[in-house]
Amino acid sequence: MTFIAIGIMFFSLFLLGAFLWGTFNLFGVIRLAREKVEINAFLRENLPEKQVEELSEKLLSMVGVEKVVYISKEEALLKFKEEIKDAPSLIEAVKTNPLPASFSVKLKDGFTSPEKVKEVSEKIDIFDEFISVEYGESWINRLDRVVKILFLFDILLGIVISFASVFVISNTVRLTVLARKRTIEVMKLVGATEKTIHAPFILAGSIEGGIAGIMSGGLLYLIYQVTSKFFVKFYFPNNFVIIGTIVFGIILGMIGSKLAVKSTSKEMKFETPNV
Amino acid sequence: MIEIRNVSIRFRKGWYALKNVDLSIGKGEFIFLTGQTGSGKTTLLRLIYMDLFPDEGEIAVAGFLSSTIKESEIPFLRRRIGIIFQDFKLLTDKTVYENVAFALEVTGQSGRKMREKVMKALTLVGLSHKRNDFPYTLSGGEQQKTAIARALVREPFILLADEPTGNIDPEGSEEIIKILQEVNTAGTAVLMATHAVELSKRMGGKFVHLEQGQIVKQ
Repeated sequence: MTFIAIGIMFFSLFLLGAFLWGTFNLFGVIRLAREKVEINAFLRENLPEKQVEELSEKLLSMVGVEKVVYISKEEALLKFKEEIKDAPSLIEAVKTNPLPASFSVKLKDGFTSPEKVKEVSEKIDIFDEFISVEYGESWINRLDRVVKILFLFDILLGIVISFASVFVISNTVRLTVLARKRTIEVMKLVGATEKTIHAPFILAGSIEGGIAGIMSGGLLYLIYQVTSKFFVKFYFPNNFVIIGTIVFGIILGMIGSKLAVKSTSKEMKFETPNV
Repeated sequence: MIEIRNVSIRFRKGWYALKNVDLSIGKGEFIFLTGQTGSGKTTLLRLIYMDLFPDEGEIAVAGFLSSTIKESEIPFLRRRIGIIFQDFKLLTDKTVYENVAFALEVTGQSGRKMREKVMKALTLVGLSHKRNDFPYTLSGGEQQKTAIARALVREPFILLADEPTGNIDPEGSEEIIKILQEVNTAGTAVLMATHAVELSKRMGGKFVHLEQGQIVKQ
C-alpha cells in the first residue's frame, strides 16, 4: 500500500516538477525576447556631432531607458550589406548611402509592455531631430499576448495538478487508513484522542510525500543532466526544483492524509454483526 | 451513573430504533439487556458510549450529557467505559499483552506502572500465561477474555458488553459470564446485551427486555 501511495505521489510530483521546470524555462525565453524589445529612432541628415551627443544623453535620462546605442550611417550601411550579402547585385546597386543614422534604445525590465513602449517612443518622437521612431508595434503586441496566455495557462495547470495530486494522495491514504480500520476502531474504542489517531497517518503521509518528492526531484535532475549533455542546455534551478518538489511532496502528503484520515475515521462506526 | 431519559432514535423516517426509553444504571449494578435481533440492544449501548446520539431525550454518562458533549470530549468519556463486542475487535498483529497495553499506550501511558496494570488485568481474566500468544492461536473464549482485560485495564466504572458470548461455545460462554460477575463483584457495573436468556437467567441479575425499540420488562 505504501509503495502504491509513494508511486502515485511520485508521478504527481514529477508532473508538477516538470511543469514548474517548464515554466521557468518559458520565463527565461520570454525574458530573452523582452530584452530584444527596442525602439529605433532615426535621425535627420547632417546633424552636428555635439547635438547627437546631447540627444543621446537626453534619451538616456528618460524614465524607463536602460541603454542608448548610436548607429551611424556607415554602420547602418554595413549592417544592411551584411543582411543582403547573398544578393551581390543589390549591393552593387547601392552606390550612395541612403540609410539614416539612428539610436537604438533599450528599455528597462518594467518598461517592455506594449503600453510602456508606446509611451516612451512617443516621448522620443517629440524631439525634432528624429525623422521617425519605430518599435515593431505588432510584434510586441503579439509577444505580450502570447506571454499573458502562457502565464494564465501555467497558473491553471499548476492549480489543476495541485488539486489532482491532493485528490489522488488523499484517496491513496484513504486506502491505507481503511487497511488499518481495525486499529482505528480500537483506538476510538479505548478513548484515544483524534490527534493520537491521526498523527501516525499524517506522519506517514508526509514521509511518503517526502520520499516521492526526493524521487521525482532526482529524476528531474537526471533528465536535466541527460538532456543538457546530449541535447539542449536548459535552465535548471537545482535548489528550487528539487527542494520545491520535496517540500511540496511533504505538504501534499500532509494535507492529503489529513483529509483522508479525517473523513474516513468519521465515517467509521463500530460495526457489529447484530443490531 | 448512567441516566437514560425518554430517549428516542430514528434510523429511517418513521422507523424508531428506540422509542421513549428510560433506564438508569447505578453503581455496581449488573444488568442483562435482552431482546431479539433488531430490538435495539446495540443501539442502546452505542448511545451510552456516544457513538450515536438520540433524536429525542437525553443521556447522562459519568457527568457527560449527550446534548452538550463536544466531539473532542468523547475520548475522555470512552476512557471511563469498558466496551466488549461479539467479534472481540482484537488487533491480530499484536500479542495478548500488546492488545491490552494498547489501550493504555494510545492515551500516553507507559513504563512500569502500565506493565503492572496490564498484568493485573490479564491475571483477573486468567490469561497471564498466554500473554505472548497472538489472538489467532486462542479460542473464542480466550479472545473475549483478552478483550475484557483490555476493557478493564483502564478501570472503568461500567463495562458494556454487546453480545459477548455470541461467538463462543456454551462452556466458554459460562466462563465469560462468570468473569463478568467477578468484575461486577469488584465494583464495576456491567450492562450486557445478550440473546442467551436462559444462560443469563441461571446466572441471576437484573433484566431489561427490549421489544421493537421499547422496554417491555424491567
